[in-house]
Amino acid sequence: MAERTAQPARLGRGFWAYTAILTVAAVAAIVFWYLFPLERYLPAAIVTARQVDTLFRFMAATGSALYVFIVGYLVYFAIVFRAKASDAPDAIGVQIHDNRKLEFWWTVIPALFVVLLSIVSVRIWYEIELEPANGLVVEAIGHQFYFSFRYPQINGEVTDEMHLPLNVPVTLNLTSADVIHGFWVPAMRLKNDTVPGLVTTIRFTPRLAGRYPIICTQFCGVEHSDMDKQVLVIEDKDSFDRWYKGWQQKNARAGNALPGAGGAAISLQGGDAAAGKVLFSQKCTACHKLAPFSQTLVGPGLEGVLHDSNHPNLVNGQAANPADVASILENGYTGSMGAMPNANSNGLSQQDIANLVAFLNTLK
Amino acid sequence: MAVAAVHSGGIADHIHPEPQGFVRRYVFSLDHKIIGIQYLITGFVFFILSGLLAEAIRTQLLNPSGGFVAPGTYNEVYSVHGSAMVWLVVIPLLTGGFGNLVFPVQIGARDVAFPWLNMLSFWIFPVAGLMLFSSFLMGAPTAGWMEYPPVSLQGAAGTSMWAAAIFLVGVSSTMTGINFVVTILKMRAPGMTFTRMPLFVWGQFATAPLLMIATTALAAALAALFIERQFGVPFFDPTKGGSPVMWQHMFWFYSHPAVYIMILPAFGIISEVLPTFARKPIFGYKLIAFSSMAIALAGFMVWAHHMFTSGLAPFLQLPFMIITYLIGVPTGIKIFSWTATLWGGKIHYTTAMLFAIGFVGLFTLGGITGIFLAAIPFDLHVHGTYFIVAHLHYVLIGGSLMGIFAGMYYWFPKMSGRLLNETLGKIHFWLFFIGFNGTFLPMHWLGVLGMPREVATYDPQFTFWNRFESFSSYLMTLAILIFFVNVLWSIRYGKRAGANPWGARTLEWQVPSPPHYYNFKHIPTVYGLPYDFSQPLPYTGLEEELTDSPPPVAAGAN
Repeated sequence: MAERTAQPARLGRGFWAYTAILTVAAVAAIVFWYLFPLERYLPAAIVTARQVDTLFRFMAATGSALYVFIVGYLVYFAIVFRAKASDAPDAIGVQIHDNRKLEFWWTVIPALFVVLLSIVSVRIWYEIELEPANGLVVEAIGHQFYFSFRYPQINGEVTDEMHLPLNVPVTLNLTSADVIHGFWVPAMRLKNDTVPGLVTTIRFTPRLAGRYPIICTQFCGVEHSDMDKQVLVIEDKDSFDRWYKGWQQKNARAGNALPGAGGAAISLQGGDAAAGKVLFSQKCTACHKLAPFSQTLVGPGLEGVLHDSNHPNLVNGQAANPADVASILENGYTGSMGAMPNANSNGLSQQDIANLVAFLNTLK
Repeated sequence: MAVAAVHSGGIADHIHPEPQGFVRRYVFSLDHKIIGIQYLITGFVFFILSGLLAEAIRTQLLNPSGGFVAPGTYNEVYSVHGSAMVWLVVIPLLTGGFGNLVFPVQIGARDVAFPWLNMLSFWIFPVAGLMLFSSFLMGAPTAGWMEYPPVSLQGAAGTSMWAAAIFLVGVSSTMTGINFVVTILKMRAPGMTFTRMPLFVWGQFATAPLLMIATTALAAALAALFIERQFGVPFFDPTKGGSPVMWQHMFWFYSHPAVYIMILPAFGIISEVLPTFARKPIFGYKLIAFSSMAIALAGFMVWAHHMFTSGLAPFLQLPFMIITYLIGVPTGIKIFSWTATLWGGKIHYTTAMLFAIGFVGLFTLGGITGIFLAAIPFDLHVHGTYFIVAHLHYVLIGGSLMGIFAGMYYWFPKMSGRLLNETLGKIHFWLFFIGFNGTFLPMHWLGVLGMPREVATYDPQFTFWNRFESFSSYLMTLAILIFFVNVLWSIRYGKRAGANPWGARTLEWQVPSPPHYYNFKHIPTVYGLPYDFSQPLPYTGLEEELTDSPPPVAAGAN
């Protein structure tokens, strides 16, 4: 038995010299990540992109240092403690089961690191959340297989390019007309899904002019791969205004994008506004506010839908009339503003529709 | 009288004679070892099929404009690749395969608690697998292994077939989970207390409740998807009042624990292989066992970290981030303990040991990028990109699959009586190791720089690294080909192993290779942990196992 038992514990030949080398390598990895010119490969288009980079540098540096030590010791032990030809064939290693002190520290130090990492990442998360909520409202709507954009505070034009003025805070509302898409601008280090029936919001402030690809990151159908052709253009305020005016003129010629009345006419005789009001609170308020058009919940705000010129015109260029609203209630809606269920899935009878239209008509 | 005598001995001595005839022995077998081998064979057949799909993916991505298959076909290919690798390969190989094969012998049991249930849960698995692959005939699913609605509601008929197939795999998993929990709780040999169980058993013991509990959430989600697609009941379609995000909650409530289903048994394999070939007790046995349970429990509390971009309320996301960070602590304990196990050892470089050491190195990288992804601000950048693809393959190939290979080289002699060829094994390891890193390491920076996942074509600026990855992946395929050649050759011509070729100390190595039907002539008594190389074996009652004495089966007992 005596020769089978291994020699008393030794850290291994050159352990401390090797540890010094690993320390140098770990420091080099940390320096590397803090000096690495990330923005040369991927510009930081918005203010918080740099905060995300800060977090990334912190995690990459600490992660690399940790990895250097783990793999360093793994390889070192694997080489130093290999069974040698001179060993007896049944030689065994040091029979040690555990080491309270070691186990205590390699539980406590990672736990403390988790606390540190939580503080760092919550702080950066908070800075992103702190971006102003009253910025320029823009809506991005996912479609199979493109994004369309609206600027409800300016005029509600539907565009197929996204332009943003420099240094103006932006509130970007995202929804989808069909399936889930992912709205990602790598240069913004920010993305969010566009979910049908749901409006999600991201807020940011553009800081660097340029043209940045917009990429869909949720599989959305057969042409998903091609959904990376559109661009976000960040430019100065004057260029932005010129671009927007150009769209308005083009759109005025082409007509706007709301569907007109269609299908069988619905009798709106005998609509009861009071009954409609009750019905509205039961069936509609989950998605629509009684507030100006721009105050989107899931669908747009409906205050003054039939009387307020801020509501977009129909495809035929006319203001919406009660028959058009009844048609949307009857057939549902899928388009630039998202998706709305039809009367059948909302459980609305013809009389319900007449009541609702009568109620909406009272909103000035 | 003889029958009564045998039966009166309780479960431990309740022995039926070995069934005769090919069908009862090898097809509809009740023997956990045969069922384990059936799982391994079936799982590796599906592994070859979904590996070929992976090569179709990499071949498509040789060029930024694709061109190997049409985009629609490409979507089917990667969706079935992902689904099959998760549900038909990694989970069955690690639980049904190695679980069945090894752990009942390791705890000194004659079989699992419910052999008929075991047979049933195996036979559901190939049927479900064939259903999944048959979906190609009717238009396979295209929305990845996650099949998020509403786009999965638009998918071809194969998507419903996919849902039915995965549902059946889930039924099979659930039954295996119940079986393993009961077996470990009730059928350990005398003296095999919880703190004397081998760590592979601990790995299975942490996994089995996940199989049992989490899979039900997936089953509900799949049933809802199937019903909505076939009968139009709107669970997920928002235009009819459904919620597409609900699917994501249900799916990830299963699929995050499923990540641990796919790694905890591999942790167990590594924890057996490392001490055996380092000739040393595993370092920190109790903490390794405890950390498996901690990971399994915490695994239920982090599902929404897959959904940071889905529109959850921002403050609700924070606890998911922090609990995910916390899982790094028990995982770190394991990694440090494995590294410390090598210290002071007499390390024998068998192929199994190479895979085990490779596992620690590669899995650690996947673990660290997992922490990156839990950080909400960084996740909002790389969610849905190749960074995720890199992370999950480091965990599932660098982790689970390396564990499976380590297990194959380690236990192949136990199931076949012959050793796998070590030279071919080492070529397999090195080719695989180089090919794997070449394939998946560049994906990290591709993702950070702007390449989304699940695309059939990509921005030409990424061409160089994609080609590099594709050629590396062919190296991996070559390595795996060598592995299968090795297995087929060694079954016939491999060196005879004997009962215990590795000088290992767990119970399965103290009985012949392959073990007798019913594993033990007499149930042994256990006196300690199996990892003390300086001590005599901590078992009694094994004296007759390697002799020619007849098995204690009463003639005519049935």
